[in-house]
Amino acid sequence: MKKFNEQELAQCDGKNGALAFIAFRGKIYDVSSSFLWKQGVHQVLHNAGRDLTDSIEKAPHGVDLLKKFPIVGALGMD
Amino acid sequence: MAKVTREMVEKSGVNVDQLVELLVKNAAAELTTYYYYTILRVNLIGLEGEGIKEIAETARIEDRNHFEALFPRIYELGGKLPGNMKDFHDISACPPASLPKDPTDIKAMLTVLVNAERCAVRGYTHICNLTAGKDHRTYDLSLSILNEEIEHESWFSEFLGEGPSGHFLRRGETSPFVSKFLK
Repeated sequence: MKKFNEQELAQCDGKNGALAFIAFRGKIYDVSSSFLWKQGVHQVLHNAGRDLTDSIEKAPHGVDLLKKFPIVGALGMD
Repeated sequence: MAKVTREMVEKSGVNVDQLVELLVKNAAAELTTYYYYTILRVNLIGLEGEGIKEIAETARIEDRNHFEALFPRIYELGGKLPGNMKDFHDISACPPASLPKDPTDIKAMLTVLVNAERCAVRGYTHICNLTAGKDHRTYDLSLSILNEEIEHESWFSEFLGEGPSGHFLRRGETSPFVSKFLK
């Protein structure tokens, strides 16, 4: 599985044609296909290209919503 | 814009620009859902479909009411609706509640309906969490809408056999919680 550091993840912010990746509990999810992540922004407050573990754990939805998105890597130093 | 209204909300610590953007996105979700539910309701026919048509219609009308109740708050807080309807559709807080490929598949129809309501329940819970104890009017409005969205979710969820909710369909009037914002 491809390893991403924070800088590499930050490049996948969903803006200007970039893919939209988010990190959750060490895994990187590709949310580019989601209607709710257009331009890499979700519900105004959340931006792609970041580790959103804290935000997702506090979100008004379960983590199971992530299951429909492909895991494309892991967050960590390599 | 209601200048002091906005100032009070800003002083409470709420990021008003972010809040207005959220309200606009949810207003878009309500109006687009009203549109998509029109198509769903029209296609709820046959022995199974006719049984769901009435609650689909109630949810459709109440979602339109939610839009009507939301937009004045957007302008009070200094926001505005997009000038372009297509832009408005595309910034919706919820995905389109599109007609399933097979409209006679009642389970697929109910899944579209319940998912739309669940998106709304999450959205208004989010706004309530952001505004509780800070922006009393937006909180009151969002809570009123949330109460109705929860009932919509319950109706469709029961038809999917997910378990009882204790709710019953409306008897005549619509929007028992939101109507105070429509007068």
